[in-house]
Formats: sequence, C-alpha cells, structure tokens
Amino acid sequence: MPDSAGALVSMRGITKRFGGVLACDDAELSVRAGEVRALLGENGAGKSTLMNVLAGVITDHEGGITVAGRPCRFRGPADAQAAGIAMIHQELDLVPGLSVAENIFLGREPRTRLRTVDTRKMAAAARAQLAELGVDLDPSRAVGSLRVGEQQLVEIAKALLSNALSTAARVLVMDEPTAALADAEVRLLFATITRLRERGVAIIYISHRMEEIEEIADRATVMRNGRVAGTVDPRTATRREVIELMVGRAEDEQFGHAATTDHGQVLLEVRDLAVHAGRPRPGRTDPAGIDLTVGAGEIVGLAGLMGAGRTELLETLYGAAPVGRLTGSVRLEGRPYAPSGPRAALARGVGFVPEDRRGSGLQLDHSVGHNIALTALRSLCTAGVVRARRERRSVREQIEALAIRAASATVAVGTLSGGNQQKVVFARQLLARPRLLLLDEPTRGIDIGAKAELYRLLQRLAGEGIGILFASSELPELLGVCDRIVVLRGGRVVADLPRHRADQATVLAAAMGSAQGAGA
Amino acid sequence: MVVFVVAVLASPQRNGELIFLSLSNLGNVVRAVSEIGIIAIGMTFVILIGGIDLSVGAVLGLSAVGTAILMVDNGWGVLPTVLVVLLIGAAFGALQGVATAVIGIQAFIVTLAGLQVARGLARIWSGGVGVPIAYGDGPQQAPPSFEILRGSINGVLPVPAVIFLVIGAIAVVVLRTTAFARHVYAIGGNEKAARLAGVPVTRVKIAVFTIAGLLTAVAGIIHAGQLSQGSPNDGIGYELNAIAAVVIGGTSLAGGVGTMSGTLAGALLLGILTNILGLNNIDANIQLLITGLVIVAAAGLQKLRRTVT
Repeated sequence: MPDSAGALVSMRGITKRFGGVLACDDAELSVRAGEVRALLGENGAGKSTLMNVLAGVITDHEGGITVAGRPCRFRGPADAQAAGIAMIHQELDLVPGLSVAENIFLGREPRTRLRTVDTRKMAAAARAQLAELGVDLDPSRAVGSLRVGEQQLVEIAKALLSNALSTAARVLVMDEPTAALADAEVRLLFATITRLRERGVAIIYISHRMEEIEEIADRATVMRNGRVAGTVDPRTATRREVIELMVGRAEDEQFGHAATTDHGQVLLEVRDLAVHAGRPRPGRTDPAGIDLTVGAGEIVGLAGLMGAGRTELLETLYGAAPVGRLTGSVRLEGRPYAPSGPRAALARGVGFVPEDRRGSGLQLDHSVGHNIALTALRSLCTAGVVRARRERRSVREQIEALAIRAASATVAVGTLSGGNQQKVVFARQLLARPRLLLLDEPTRGIDIGAKAELYRLLQRLAGEGIGILFASSELPELLGVCDRIVVLRGGRVVADLPRHRADQATVLAAAMGSAQGAGA
Repeated sequence: MVVFVVAVLASPQRNGELIFLSLSNLGNVVRAVSEIGIIAIGMTFVILIGGIDLSVGAVLGLSAVGTAILMVDNGWGVLPTVLVVLLIGAAFGALQGVATAVIGIQAFIVTLAGLQVARGLARIWSGGVGVPIAYGDGPQQAPPSFEILRGSINGVLPVPAVIFLVIGAIAVVVLRTTAFARHVYAIGGNEKAARLAGVPVTRVKIAVFTIAGLLTAVAGIIHAGQLSQGSPNDGIGYELNAIAAVVIGGTSLAGGVGTMSGTLAGALLLGILTNILGLNNIDANIQLLITGLVIVAAAGLQKLRRTVT
C-alpha cells in the first residue's frame, strides 16, 4: 500500500515461520486513524498471525511496525498495549464469576487509601465507559449471566480502558467478533464500532461474513498464503472479486443448486413439543410449543435470534438436553421417538453436529482417523476389536468424499483449519449413516471456501434422501440452502416459510416479533 | 526408554561381575515392581479417562487382609478365596465408578473417601492386626498351593513377575486394539464430545474403575502371598507410586493421551532405580529423594519431547 503517509499503523515485510510453515510471508498492512479495515482470507491465510504480531503476542518475526510514524519493536502484549494497540480474541478472556466492572478492571483495579479495591470508583468508571460505547449494562452483573453479544461489548470496554492510563486506545483489532452473535446483537456491535470510528480509533476487523464487511468496512484487505493478495473497496468490489482474491480461483457460486424435488415422505414430525424443566434454567430457552416437519431429502432451516431456542430444540431432538418432562409428540419415520440420550438417537438414525466443534465436537488431541471412526466404531469391530484395515478404508472414504485436507489420517485434528475440523465432525456422523441430520451453526468460524463446500455437501446428502434440520444465525445461507425456513422465538415456532416466500426481511421480522411477517 | 538402559549399565558392579544383570536379580526387579505394576495398569485406564484412583493402596490392604483371613481363619481353599477377593476389589471399584459416573462426584474426592473406607474395612475385618499365613493342612493354616506366589518358574522368573508381565501384555493389546480402549481415550480427550458421539460414557467409566479395583485385588493377593501375611496397613502410599509409574510412562494426567507400554516401562524404571540404589547401599532416605527427582526429570523429558515433535 502506497499510503503509509498518514497511516496510524503500518506493518512492513512481516514474515513469520512456524516450523516449516510460512504463516506470514512479507505481509504488509497500513491503517489510518478512523478507518474500519476488514481483514479476510481463508483459514490459514495468515490473518491471525499478522494480528498477533501487531498485538505483541508474536515477537520473533521479521519486518517492522510503525505506530504514528515511530518504529516500534514489541517485546510482549504489554508493549503493544502501551503503544495503543488492543486486541479482542475470538475466545473471550473474561472471568464468568466476576462482575462486569471487575472484569473490565481485572489486574488494574483502582485502590482506596487502604489498598483495598475501590469498588465505587470502579463501578462508576465502568458505567461511564459502557455508556460511552452506547451500551446499557449494569456493571455489577456477573459476566457469566450475560449473553455472548453483551460479553463481547464488555471485552471491548475492557480493551479500550486498558490503554486509558497510558494512551487512549488507537487501534482495536477484533478477531471474528460476530461469530457468536445473532443479528440484533451485531447491530449493537456495529453501532459501537461506528462511535469508535468517529473518535478516530482505527479498527481492524477480521471476519468471514461478506454482508457485514460490505456494511461496516471502509476498505477490505484480503490475505492468501501469508501474503496480502489485495485491498479493495467493499462497496464497489463484487463478491466474486473478493472470493477470487481469497481463493485464487473463480468460485462460480457460493450456494449449491436447490433440489426442488418434492419431499413426499415425512421423516420427522414434531407436534406441540414442549420441555418442562422443574426449575428455571437461566440462559436456556426450552421448547415451548414446537410444530414442524422434516421430509426425507428436505433441508429445513431453523432461524431465530440468540436465545430463540434453536440449540435447545436440536439438543432435545438428539436426547442431549438436560432432563425435563416432555409433552407433545415426536414421530420419526412414523414411529414415536423420544431418545433417552445420544446413543438412542443415533440408533434411530439421527445425527447431530453441535454448535461448538472444539468444545463438544472433537477430541482435538486425537488423530483425524480416530475422530472420524468414533461414532460408527461398533460397525468396524469384530468381537470388540477394531479391524484396522476396515477402519482405515472407511476413514479414507470419508476423507475423500468430504475433501478433508489433512496431511494424513494420523495427524491430530486440532492441527487442521476450522473448516476441515468441521468436515471431520460431519464425517464422524456420516459414517454412522444417519437418516436425519441436526446441524447447529455448522458454518460458524469457517472460511468462505469451506462454507461453499459444506453447502454442496448438504445438497448432496439431501439428494440421497437424508433429512436435514439446519440451525444458523446467518440468514443468507439459510435462504440460499434451505427448502423451507422455520423461525423460532421464545421456544415457539412463529413462522414456517417455504423458500419462495422467505426473504431476509420476512424472516427477520418474524424472529424479532414484528406484527407483520408471521406467515404461519 | 534409552534412559533406563543407560541406567542399567552405568551403576552396578560388584564382586567382579554385574550383580544387576544376573538373572536372579533381574527377576527380583520385576517381582519387586509386580504389585505396583499391576496397580499401575488399572491406574492407566483411570487416568486416561481423566480420572484418578487414590483408593488403590487401601484396597490392596483390604485384599491382602481378606486373602489371609479367608484362608487361615475361615479355612477356605485357594480358588474360592481368590475369586471372592477379586470380587470384593471389583465391586469396590465399581461402586467408586458409579459415584463418579452416575452421581458425578469428582474421582479425586470419591477415591479419597474410598481410601478411608477400604482402610477402615481392612482394620475392622482384621481387628487391627496383621494376619500371618502359615502353610499346611491343619486348622489355622493356608493350603500349601498358595505358596506358589513365593516361588518361581525354573528358579529364574518369580511367579508374581510372570503374572505382572502376562497382565501387562494383555493390557497393551486391549488398549491398542479394542473399541473399549477407543472409548476410554475419547472420554479423556473430550467427555462431552464423546457423549454426543454416542460413546456409552457412564458404562465405560464404571468399567474402568472396576478394572482398577480388580487389578488392585490381584496385587493384594500377590502381596499376601509374597509376605505370607495380610496386614491392614499394607499398601500405604502405593497409590502414589502407581501414579508415578503411569506419569513416567508418558500418560497425561489430563486424560486422553498415553500408552500402556509406557506405564510398564515406567513401573520397571522405578523398580530398576530402587534396585540399583539398594545394591549400592544408598541410604533409604536418600533413595526417596533420588526417586522423587527422577520422577520430575522423567516427566520433564516427556513434556520436552512432546513439544519438540
């Protein structure tokens, strides 16, 4: 970029190797004050490495950083913070048991003359900081009781305040801040970003979501293979151009063709399903009157805001929800279905891809092969002994069918990129030959190329007659992939829209409870 | 495991030849670690699921007491005695498994309580004193066939060592090849993901604690046989040695990572160390100190090797 004059931060010739892998290869990036810069690229393109260099997390790199015209060499995150650079990681660094104010001031609590924590001053400062961000949150609430979107805002407040003592935060790096947010919470975050931009803060925004980038970013820098592939104006560049920069090849279409066959046979039939927990469960929205059907070969989208009860519905259908009394009826392939647990669900041909693949989807330290084989292990055994050859063959078939990019089946799953990890979760389920697949946010945090592959996979599975119930916070993908979209709010179905009647506005209106739009 | 070969060759020379390498001494080494080794095999399963079993030393004491009393005071034969003692050990382990897997109490707490309970039971059953085993056909005597545990095959391989090596070999194969083992690893790697993937988590956990209890009872029977007595104070601190063997063998206390062959090597390493130090007449207190340092060094080496590769 030739515009280093006037740049607030400028990185040049950044190169960083991990073992034999070149994570950053002569990468450069300059950002002006008051600019929102999107940083995108496929997983493994070097975005996180570059940002970790900027935030002082990685110190043994080649190349130089200039902040406000002064060359800097960070020896650790504290140096970067002192220079006004704050980073918000994808996994939030908050202590759930402490209050909002305590989290914001963690490690640098204001003291009274007796060296005890000055709670009054802390609460007041926290409240002021949150108000400045346009956030209405009680600083005394425990962070664990907040929704993820609210926690994100607390993290931002914390990052901004961390520099208040030395310099005002001038650069804020956000690593996929909206990955866990529902649309309404994204609006809140964007309002905050807009305020920060007006204050002259430079924001580097890592994201996979094109819609958001088009809306919020002034410029978008695309990385590929550790290098900067190009910088574009997201308002004028077409998505196709951006995707080509990312993958280095033309991606014809993001979503597969919808198979508009009729779905004669009803696979899953849910009538008036409700779960009655003995006591209230904070943060959970149990099903409270669900009616829906999924046909064989049909992809049904499950839309709704954060807390609408999508995850809870899928968990209930998989037998993985905490105990509660069920009312209503669920029938699978015409027979009553009330799984006592995941094993019972799997025995009836129901598979589940959980929301949090690292936390509840995979054994990260274990090999790709062992992960894939886990669910269908019994079918690969004779008398309790795993038949190595049969297992290798099955694993290889899945790796090929899903195009999982791994050096071999024996490498640890944790070393793969997010998209490939997710494919391993799918492979594990598919090896068990499900007839109904329950998917909870299967594309979260994976790059656009891998997403497109997953969409094609879903189309293929549907073509094979598998029914799919697909929960997602990203409306465009639901609209692009699903035959029908069911909208939830407060644990109830508020709309059931066939594809041709569903559009972003209608679904969002139903999800938010506006008067019109509830088409069912 | 080059480390222990070096240790073997470095230390021992006496009377012109290497006492350490004499067959009888090598047999002795394996015999000396057979009890800890057998317990460590069960402990490996427990640690692989991310658990811990602190009760094993006390359960060994209970098993030894049971063996002695059933044969000497109750006049039982060898077979019924062994079966009943094994059953007691397995049942004790199973109960601890239920408490962890079904009720959901942490294994550390369950087995800490189990330690007290087993030790208490052993003291109550024995009246607080050791029960000596005399061999013969008369009253208050154990069947002479039980003395086999003090013997050896061809005068070289002590019977307890053989039992240890056979169980060890079976355990290596089980952990390498069975679906059960995969489930054990999966639970230790990520219990929630294992449950969602259809692993019978509760059943596997109970089975693992049952195996640990069962193998500890085996060790208890061997203990009674080797010492010709069952004392309620037998096996104090054995849990720590067994855990040390597992850890030296490279199994992660966090669960999900480790091998059975590592545990066997770890147990042998501890045995060799004790043996060499003993042969060189090192003071017992210094032995303790050196053993401690070796455990830390071995664990450190494991960690280093894992981060390098």
